[in-house]
Amino acid sequence: MTSEANPALFGRIPILGRFGLWIWRNPLIAPALLVVIVVTQAPFILTVIYSLFRWNLQRPENTAFNAFGNYVDIVRDTRFLDSIVTSLTFTVGAVLLSLLVGLIYALLVHDRFFGRGIVRTLLITPFLIMPIIGALAWKYTVLSPIFGVVNWIVRQFGAAPIDWIGMYPVASVVAVLVWRWAPFMMIIILAGLQALDDDQREAARMDGAGPLGEIRFVVLPHLKKYLQLSALLGSIFIVNEFDVIFMLTQGGPGTATTNVPFLIYQSVFYSFDIGHAAAMAVVTVLGTIIIVTYLLKLLGSLMGDLD
Amino acid sequence: MGSITISKVTKHFGALEVIPPLDLHIEEGEFVVFVGPSGCGKTTLLRLIAGLEDVTSGSVAIDGTDVTQVAAARRGLAMVFQSYALYPHMTVRENIGFPLRMAGIGKAEIARKVETVAETLNLTGHLDARPGQMSGGQRQRVAIGRAIVREPKAFLFDEPLSNLDASLRVNMRLEISELHQRLQTTAIYVTHDQVEAMTMATKIVVLRSGIIEQVGSPMELYNQPRNLFVAGFIGSPKMNFITGEKAAQHDAATIGVRPEHIALSKDAGAWQGAVGIVEHLGSDTFLHVNVSGAGPLTVRVAGELAVNFGDTVFVTPDANRIHRFDAAGNALPRRN
Amino acid sequence: MVFWQRRTAATRGIERASMIRTVLAWAVALFVSFPFLYLATSGFKTEVEAPKMPPAFVPVPESLSGFPLAYTPTLENYKLILAGDFMPYFINSAIATLVSTLIVLLLATPAAYALTLPQTTGKRNVLFFLISTRFLPAVGVIIPIFLATRFLGLLDNVLALIILYTAMNLPIAVWMMRSFFQDLPADVLDAGRMDGAGTIQELILIALPMIKNGVLATAFLAIIFAWNEFLLALTLTTTKAATVPLYMISFMSAQGLWYAKMSAAGTLAALPVVILGWFGQKWLVRGLSMGAVK
Repeated sequence: MTSEANPALFGRIPILGRFGLWIWRNPLIAPALLVVIVVTQAPFILTVIYSLFRWNLQRPENTAFNAFGNYVDIVRDTRFLDSIVTSLTFTVGAVLLSLLVGLIYALLVHDRFFGRGIVRTLLITPFLIMPIIGALAWKYTVLSPIFGVVNWIVRQFGAAPIDWIGMYPVASVVAVLVWRWAPFMMIIILAGLQALDDDQREAARMDGAGPLGEIRFVVLPHLKKYLQLSALLGSIFIVNEFDVIFMLTQGGPGTATTNVPFLIYQSVFYSFDIGHAAAMAVVTVLGTIIIVTYLLKLLGSLMGDLD
Repeated sequence: MGSITISKVTKHFGALEVIPPLDLHIEEGEFVVFVGPSGCGKTTLLRLIAGLEDVTSGSVAIDGTDVTQVAAARRGLAMVFQSYALYPHMTVRENIGFPLRMAGIGKAEIARKVETVAETLNLTGHLDARPGQMSGGQRQRVAIGRAIVREPKAFLFDEPLSNLDASLRVNMRLEISELHQRLQTTAIYVTHDQVEAMTMATKIVVLRSGIIEQVGSPMELYNQPRNLFVAGFIGSPKMNFITGEKAAQHDAATIGVRPEHIALSKDAGAWQGAVGIVEHLGSDTFLHVNVSGAGPLTVRVAGELAVNFGDTVFVTPDANRIHRFDAAGNALPRRN
Repeated sequence: MVFWQRRTAATRGIERASMIRTVLAWAVALFVSFPFLYLATSGFKTEVEAPKMPPAFVPVPESLSGFPLAYTPTLENYKLILAGDFMPYFINSAIATLVSTLIVLLLATPAAYALTLPQTTGKRNVLFFLISTRFLPAVGVIIPIFLATRFLGLLDNVLALIILYTAMNLPIAVWMMRSFFQDLPADVLDAGRMDGAGTIQELILIALPMIKNGVLATAFLAIIFAWNEFLLALTLTTTKAATVPLYMISFMSAQGLWYAKMSAAGTLAALPVVILGWFGQKWLVRGLSMGAVK
């Protein structure tokens, strides 16, 4: 016991005391912050706790403390490692291709031309469409072996139709992801191009840079932070991708397109193995924190000093 | 009403000391101009008086009452900002009436007061316009209207003219001076432009790095600058400073002569020099004369003058107008 | 492709280059839009016409049917879907989306404003904490959320979606609105303080009217994210509270592959947000970059 009277409600625990005081002093921020904490942080703590238990919803009588048993299991389980590889393949492949395609879109529509507004609108639409409907459109109108337009073209050349999603599942998912995320990249890159001072481009030209030199020495260096930002944001969203996989492949064939979120979903809602799924979730969150840390640094530097 | 006393006020931004301990007294009805180069702390000082920044230590008193802990709005001061700071979504009428509305004054009285102010400032026809539809000068008048409608103890002006173009600036300068003549309300005016300081102020406060270099009437500062900084800052073109032997002749480390206090002759004079660049302003001619042993001097001659680059001329400083400074830059007393 | 030559567009070669660019841009746009344009047209076809190849794109009156690439539009599919059980899903989606967006705005506005005030301490921590929650995988919390919702008896209840969508969109809304508040000229807010406005009055009477567009943009983004959300809806609802994306799933499993009707349903489901996004295009970038890019 300290001799000094402590006015704070949570006085015994210094961190909670400081936090409580801060919340009390910031009534405008407190409600928003508390909602987010209750809905997102509290569950994560529970996830960590669940991950330490053997717990299957179908056999609740077997529930027991399992320490790090679940973690040992998932490391031994090749499905989890496979799903990590799949997640990384999707993320790296889709992010890089989306960046490239998004950059091309942006360069195409940056300047004024006939119908630019409509073209831009068409280009961003894949990003606005509900992901499962975008994937559905691809599945049945583009890639379907019977009704898909790609196979109709293939047939016109006399070749046999191909079950694209069945034969090339990873490429199919990546194609749909790129279709969906390239507009996102384009939007950010376009903003970057707009922020580029025309004088700089003209100065480079006066200094004797050709069109390619101008892109290399002025446009791309200027775009660097925008490209970084879109790559990081894109990574975070794509690494969590669930909807497209659910609609397009259900993680299959086999486990060919089962990424981490889909595997966790299956563990919970198909096998009801809470402990196991929770351990995978914790590992995923820890892994994502690495990307998030870089992203926050970048956001911080883009926003300037916050305090 | 409207005397302001600042006692031992300091301001730190983090580890950076912007204002070291500073004392200043402003009498009721004065038009005080804070002048100094950018970054000298003049705007910070104004914002400390306004209550928009908290002092790190020291106190601010208005009419003898300590207001250091009083919120900006309760200090009875009104401020006119560099960017006018009008509320873009409100009409002129609503802009001017806003401080009264915040003070809980009734609608009828607000309407009456706004009308009166608008009349004084020639804004009657614009009361229902929004700031976005008005010219810079009109916006500035609305900002002034919003300040005077509260009948404050003092007006605070933060570089109010620097967003206006040159000719409008001269007009607004006169309008603000006239307003002060009429209302006789204390005013504190921040500017980096020494011409505004000289023409408007009853008292000038010259600041550098948060320190008051000198306080005085415009002519005191012009005639008796306390140090090299004030001497160089007040007056245009700048005072000439001469060091070395010619200064030693006057028992000083540096002597200063204003360009308008140097006589020019083609035949004879104290110092001989070669004409460099000549600037013809019509009403005046500024010559840059290279005098051996004194360096380049600026000389101001009224009217036009036919001299050319390279001509040999003679210049003679007015002996009664020579300012002497010691090695530390502080003014030495006049001889004679 | 040749955007850097804009300023010297007087010469011929460049005019031709710009022609090529225009054509290329249109070609790419049409290629990219194929899946959804095709989906949208298929919804107006009969079940017989819909899966036919080559894809028919030109709507013509019945008298001209039979021409290549032409089809006769019909509203039959839409009538069937709207007469069926689509509306309850649509209403659930609308309630979850609009109510959560409203709560998001109510909570985010004061928070974002307070996070621009100089006297607020720990702004950086709060902002980074908020956004990090948005960046962490939903699967990291889906298990306890599912269990908690079940425990509270809120499974298959729109209220659960409202709460979760609120928490999901709050961080982005705070960041986005803060970036709008931050762009307000400091002088105007200082003027407000000099004129006697307290923090709340300053927010309501001065700051908020000046960022009307920002509020709208934030609402747009929150609506888009909530409307399109799938994982939480799939996990927490079954029939009573199920939203539009679940309609698609149940439609496909219950009715089988009826191309034309599926296309019509997909179009109806995606359209509200697509249209909203078209109108809110210029604000998307700000929201997507958490206000870092304007």
